[in-house]
Amino acid sequence: MKLTRKAALVMAAVPAIVFITPVGTASAHGYVSSPPSRSAQCARGIVQGCGAPQWEPQSAEGVKGQMNCSGDRGDFAVLNEDNRGWQVTGTGTSLTMTWTFTARHRTRDYEYYINGTRVGYVNGNKLAPVDPVQHTINLSGFSGRQKLYAIWNIEDTAMAFYSCIDINIGGGGTQPPPTTNPPTTQPPAGGTWAANTAYAVGAQVTYGGAGYKCLQAHTSLTGWEPPNAASLWQKL
Amino acid sequence: MRRLAIAIAAAVLALAGCGGEAIVPEGQGAHGHGANSAAPPVPAASARFNDADVMFVQMMVDHLQLGISLSQVALVKATKQEAKDLAGAINTTQREELSMLKSWLKLWGKPEGGGADLHAKHGGQPLLDDEVIDGTKEKSGAEFDLTFLNLMAGHQGAAVEMALAEKKDGMNPETTAYAERVISIRQGQVSQLLKVISEP
Repeated sequence: MKLTRKAALVMAAVPAIVFITPVGTASAHGYVSSPPSRSAQCARGIVQGCGAPQWEPQSAEGVKGQMNCSGDRGDFAVLNEDNRGWQVTGTGTSLTMTWTFTARHRTRDYEYYINGTRVGYVNGNKLAPVDPVQHTINLSGFSGRQKLYAIWNIEDTAMAFYSCIDINIGGGGTQPPPTTNPPTTQPPAGGTWAANTAYAVGAQVTYGGAGYKCLQAHTSLTGWEPPNAASLWQKL
Repeated sequence: MRRLAIAIAAAVLALAGCGGEAIVPEGQGAHGHGANSAAPPVPAASARFNDADVMFVQMMVDHLQLGISLSQVALVKATKQEAKDLAGAINTTQREELSMLKSWLKLWGKPEGGGADLHAKHGGQPLLDDEVIDGTKEKSGAEFDLTFLNLMAGHQGAAVEMALAEKKDGMNPETTAYAERVISIRQGQVSQLLKVISEP
């Protein structure tokens, strides 16, 4: 222990000051994962260049009572831009939605709106959601291209979480443009490691001049480069 | 008076080098390579760290363990092959991360526990706990897949949030580099999970 007594005293005094800065914010978050909401499309890369929603699709949070895909969060404003090439889901008059949550929070209710009309309501009974959370709503009386607002109203805060889903009622959907949705490709034998590639057990790649053998079937990701993932890749 | 307090605070921070920083005593510095020479080298965390680093690593230890538990259920019960492969890769890579983070806490002289309490303080009720994971064992077929995929997408999405906070507030270079990797890997997993969720 080479710390001087003075340094130790100073360090002991520091935490009281440092803890004034709050670390992180309350994060009880969620979004509609299926059909793919605008947030989910940002996270999947179907629509690129979204900024914050790519990393935190669950965080389009704002005060209750809005009709706003971003919850009025400035860094989520892209979610309100109707001309970003959002994938449209074709549907009949019955539509089932699935929610993804990153933390649980007691729930007042879920609301669904088209053009200011509430087309769905599910009471949350002040309980935390239990997966899987799916709601089926009736879209009778609506047709064609519509923007559906899905809203998760929290029971014990002033906040809600907003998701927007582009649908075509009584019609077909659109497919994501192939160039913006990297397909998982089969690797050439003995090729250079690449991200977003399906590797089977035993597949061999080179990376940084070294050879590696795949130990666990997976689709590769940036961050799972062979030297960074010894449990996936054995160095040869 | 307030100005004086700020001045004193600034002086104390200047003396300490950086807010909340701690220094591991000499002789216990970075030494990452495990006793087993066959094992891949585990990056050691250097000796300078702050409270945000410790909190992030403690929370990630709990987070990794819960992800491993859920993956193990999916390895048995998932019906979609992509879901099963993803569970297998999450299981094995998170074990690797877990042993690395535990070695950092040991080096820093910090306990492994407390992550759940930190979650409660900073993020409300976490998505996963033993009860939720046990509950998935009662499901099967498409219902299991749907539950697993959405739980894992949410769980890994929460890791991105934690890592973004560490990137902003942490100071230990190995820990912030790990946070960068968590952001990239978990975002990639969320993308893969959402794709599988959307497939019939």
